[in-house]
Amino acid sequence: MTASSAGRTAAPARRERLNPLTSLTAAAATAVITTAAGSWPLSLAVVAACLGLSVAGGTARRVLPAGAAVLVPLGLSLLWLHGLFFPEGRTVLAAWGPARITQEGLEFAGQRILQLAAVVLVLLLFSFSVRVPDLVAALSARGVQGRFAFVLASTLTLLPAIAARAQRIRQAQESRGLVVSGSLVSRARAFRLQAVPLVLSLIEDAGTRAAALEARGLSNTGPRTSYREVADSGLQRAARTVLVLAALAAVVLRVAQAGAGG
Amino acid sequence: MSSPSLTLPSQERPAARRRLLEILGALAIAATYVYLVLNQPADITGGPGSASALIALTGFLAGAVLLIVAVLPTLPASTLVLIPVALVLNIVLGQFVGSTLVPFYLDAIGTVLIAVLAGPAAGAATGALSSIVWSFFNPTVLPFAAGAALIGCLAGLAARYGLFRRFYLAPVAGFATGIIAGVVSAPVAAFVFGGTSGVATGAIVSAFRAMGDTLLAAITKQALISDPMDKAIVFTIVAILVYALPRRARQQFPFIRRHRVLAGTTPAADARAQGPAQDPVQGPAEGPAQDSTRKG
Repeated sequence: MTASSAGRTAAPARRERLNPLTSLTAAAATAVITTAAGSWPLSLAVVAACLGLSVAGGTARRVLPAGAAVLVPLGLSLLWLHGLFFPEGRTVLAAWGPARITQEGLEFAGQRILQLAAVVLVLLLFSFSVRVPDLVAALSARGVQGRFAFVLASTLTLLPAIAARAQRIRQAQESRGLVVSGSLVSRARAFRLQAVPLVLSLIEDAGTRAAALEARGLSNTGPRTSYREVADSGLQRAARTVLVLAALAAVVLRVAQAGAGG
Repeated sequence: MSSPSLTLPSQERPAARRRLLEILGALAIAATYVYLVLNQPADITGGPGSASALIALTGFLAGAVLLIVAVLPTLPASTLVLIPVALVLNIVLGQFVGSTLVPFYLDAIGTVLIAVLAGPAAGAATGALSSIVWSFFNPTVLPFAAGAALIGCLAGLAARYGLFRRFYLAPVAGFATGIIAGVVSAPVAAFVFGGTSGVATGAIVSAFRAMGDTLLAAITKQALISDPMDKAIVFTIVAILVYALPRRARQQFPFIRRHRVLAGTTPAADARAQGPAQDPVQGPAEGPAQDSTRKG
């Protein structure tokens, strides 16, 4: 997260005035509307827009690998599954034994992949461009449980720290003579030797953190104040309402259509 | 960590309202599942953007959020600080296994660990939160929030009724949990994704599709192959981890003390350690929030 926050300080000042809730609403509404519409031109447009925005916002270098890590295995799996085995397909393009490439199957896989790519990219664009402290402050100001904000912020900051600690534990065990060979038993032993110290130290740490949080009144109810001011405006509030209504309308329309058309 | 808070006691919200939210959340998940299974033949090849995908997303997510809202305020701080740790364990191990050619996920180790240490309610909240926070890096896990909550809840119930006291019972409990979780998660994979996200799991689904199964049937069968094995492995790993913890670390959790979750911790020794006021054998009569949920 340290590298990412360094990247964010270089971002244009215009985006910093955007309330994180507005971008969250925009991303979620786009994902819902794309799913509801289910038309490939719209999905393609959303994918293109996401790529453009991430390049413009300077997050492309992190959005693209994360998106590829999700979408490439998913896409391959869907192509393999529906491209070769689609019993409902009628137009057979090629066949080897039980495997038949059908036009319907390829269309189904292609549409699904495009639609999922749109949803995944728009949500990743949000999560890689939002400032986590701002999001937490905005959520707390809206009366969302301080506890949820704590879980979110704590996970995102703990992730690199715990990965670094796992690395140190592995190095320590290797310096004590841990050698991982190919066999399953050896791998399981190595896993145990690394996982037990990691989990134990994490639980110890958590105990210390619990005492500290409790002493600072985590469980207390009542109003809270925040040092962090998150910009918001009437325009953004109106935009959020419109986006939520549009997403709801898209869902209702789609479900009603399915109910009427069967 | 079990020392009482130094600050003013918090005013708990009325228990009835929390219970209502819990029941509503469980109902939303159950109703969505029943609807999807009943309606599937008409809709499955109707193309993407089907109404079923939207209903699956809305129902399962709403149920998971209701469960979080109901459970999160009741957790003590010592459990709350463990949730981020569990999420990181889920993400780090799950992200690694998901990209390999093994038809397993192993993305619930943290959730099951919390469930064993802190009870079914904490496990359910951890499972649901795990999916929501993980979706910051991988949005495709978001629809599985309800299934993850179910796994946490079932793992906690297994611990509550002593299945972690015998080492050989933990994988059995995991196997049973996997069957239920797999059946519930299959409609999400079928309707929202039209397949599975892993390459190895996708190959298994293809095999069933080649035999002419519908997509939902093929994915359910794949889930019934992958999930029970996966959860049996996860429960075994968690049992190894929990028994490797020193006594002091595990006995800081009231759930473990009260329900004698682990073997070797005799009630008499515990009672001495905790003072004569608490008697872990008769503990369930206290009925705390951690262990009172039964969902799914």
